[in-house]
Amino acid sequence: MNSTIFSYFSQSKELSTIISGLSKSLGFDATSLVAFIVFAIACLVVVGALATIGGLGTYAERKISADLQARQGPNRVGPYGILQFLADGVKMILKEDIIPANADRFTFILAPFLCMIGVFATLAVVPFSSGFTLTDLNVGIFYLVGMASLVGVGVFLGGYSSNSKWSMLGGMRGASQIISYEIPATITIISIVLLAGGLSMGTLIGGQGGMPQEWYMFHNPFAFIGFFVYFISALAETNRAPFDLPEAESELVSGYHTEYSGMRFGLFALAEYIEVFVVCGVATALFLGGYKVPFELGTGAILVEKLGLDIMLAKNIGQVLELGSFFTKTFALYYVVIWVRWTLPRLRVDQLMTLCWKYLTPIAIFNLLGCAVWMYAFNGKSIYSLIFETASTVAGHH
Amino acid sequence: MFSNTLFMLSAALTLGGAFAVVYSQNLMHACIYLLASLFGVAGLYACIGADFLAATQLVVYAGGVVILMLFAIMLTGGTGNKINRYGLEKVAAMGNKKTYFTAGFAAVVTSLIILKIIASVLRAQPSKELAANQVTVEKLGTLLATDHILAFEISSVMLLGALVGAAIISRPRKEKHD
Amino acid sequence: MINLGSYLIISFALFICGILVMVARKNIIAILLGIELILNASALNFVAYTKFMNNNLDGHIMSLFIIVTAAAEAAVGLGIVIRFFQLRESIHIDDAATLQN
Repeated sequence: MNSTIFSYFSQSKELSTIISGLSKSLGFDATSLVAFIVFAIACLVVVGALATIGGLGTYAERKISADLQARQGPNRVGPYGILQFLADGVKMILKEDIIPANADRFTFILAPFLCMIGVFATLAVVPFSSGFTLTDLNVGIFYLVGMASLVGVGVFLGGYSSNSKWSMLGGMRGASQIISYEIPATITIISIVLLAGGLSMGTLIGGQGGMPQEWYMFHNPFAFIGFFVYFISALAETNRAPFDLPEAESELVSGYHTEYSGMRFGLFALAEYIEVFVVCGVATALFLGGYKVPFELGTGAILVEKLGLDIMLAKNIGQVLELGSFFTKTFALYYVVIWVRWTLPRLRVDQLMTLCWKYLTPIAIFNLLGCAVWMYAFNGKSIYSLIFETASTVAGHH
Repeated sequence: MFSNTLFMLSAALTLGGAFAVVYSQNLMHACIYLLASLFGVAGLYACIGADFLAATQLVVYAGGVVILMLFAIMLTGGTGNKINRYGLEKVAAMGNKKTYFTAGFAAVVTSLIILKIIASVLRAQPSKELAANQVTVEKLGTLLATDHILAFEISSVMLLGALVGAAIISRPRKEKHD
Repeated sequence: MINLGSYLIISFALFICGILVMVARKNIIAILLGIELILNASALNFVAYTKFMNNNLDGHIMSLFIIVTAAAEAAVGLGIVIRFFQLRESIHIDDAATLQN
């Protein structure tokens, strides 16, 4: 029904020989068994890779902040201190796991896992490349929005169950901020869905191209504004500075995870860094052309034609190029997120809510209307193709 | 086989969550069990190919309703003593033997009636081959914008009314100083 | 395994749980939890009948409207509860008896 990672692998001959061999030796049709194994391995790879990216995120944060403040940053563990996150992880696992005596034990234990589940469940639809998407659900982006809102529940429960006023204030701020900023983010996503005509990640990226003028960000002026609306909302949804009110160090110690120690705190931190990656990936997929590579290199057709390579090899090379394209754009956005954190001061609570309800939400609704009018008036053509057509007709008349 | 496993897990999550909502004595925990139950219902939707509904269930309940309820529980939790200035119980009891007995009686009567109704369906099970799961998003969109456009518009007006109404009701009023 | 009967039984159990919560609890928010369970049971029934009976999507539309209504109901209901708590400092259902008699 949906195109999944298994449907990419089943194009290769090796997999079909494995399936037929297994079916012969086991005595039943082994297709679904092999599919299950492929999915399990792919999920392990994705979760492992993303956990590493989350860990490296903490390292990047420290290193970039050090750059911005003209310091050294971590430089002891491994070359350039790049293994710092492993040392941190070992430290966190070895720390004592403290549960406050007056805490609500059930919710206290549950909260970090809710955050983790919410973030890792979104990875199922993140489009790393045209072949390496775990599953291309036909309600992909909608599912992602729904699953990501579990993080809000986790943050709130973490704050409530700790039985501490810092945590309580942090949890309240976190939950209200997350559900408020979901509105402009979702409306902006809807305006892009309007341009693409579908909810699945494949459709959303399929309407774009590899070159910047084919991206939805430069499709029309409204989508251009929409990118910034989405990016600001995503910053606020992931509790990143300048919207890090839930964990404002100067007022709330560290907000909703004040009372957490050891690996439970580590789970919260890891969930936050992976969520930043996921929202950057979504921004890439929606506005920046996702995994698309210029000149249709991703399908590998041009490699087969010009260089005479084997079809499967050309496809695999295309997949690697697409992965590179996706990760390059996403990491560029990730850098911007960290850069913003160490540049801008924190907002006040009333400024935060004013920004969401008085500015971003009306702008997002205006963008949605503008996109709809643009689709109707110009038949869905992008601004670049309009200019190009006009120029060519003008040139043709002379 | 995998869809059967998914169905079993979702059903277990739904029913377990619902029973836990009934028997939990802590309102906060009951709300989390409700979240589990609603997720199970989303899984049940997904089992029979209602993909859009499953995602809607996740968005509306996990992101909206449950957080709203958690907020309300926290705001009405009350601190300090359990008796308010009128001598009334501040946080109501989650039920006692008397109420559970009444509820059990009501449940038995209701379940007898409903079982009588669905017995005919259970007995006369249509054994036809099921249609394959289809993509529902486009069809739902078309239906919403054509056949059910009136209900769609009315529900949007209702949502606007609910938004304004909730904001007005829960807004703190200025108390008169004398 | 996946047939109309099992879906009906699940939604029946959900409904009964909702009734139990609504009748047994004296806490207004807990009663709202029960109402959510009941609404979900009915939405599940609509989807199950759509799949196993006629396979047109009107049942899905009905479930969508049930979800929308449930969201609106929760928003307004909880607003009323919070206002009631501000006035009476209680969320016991028996204290909301000003309009009785």
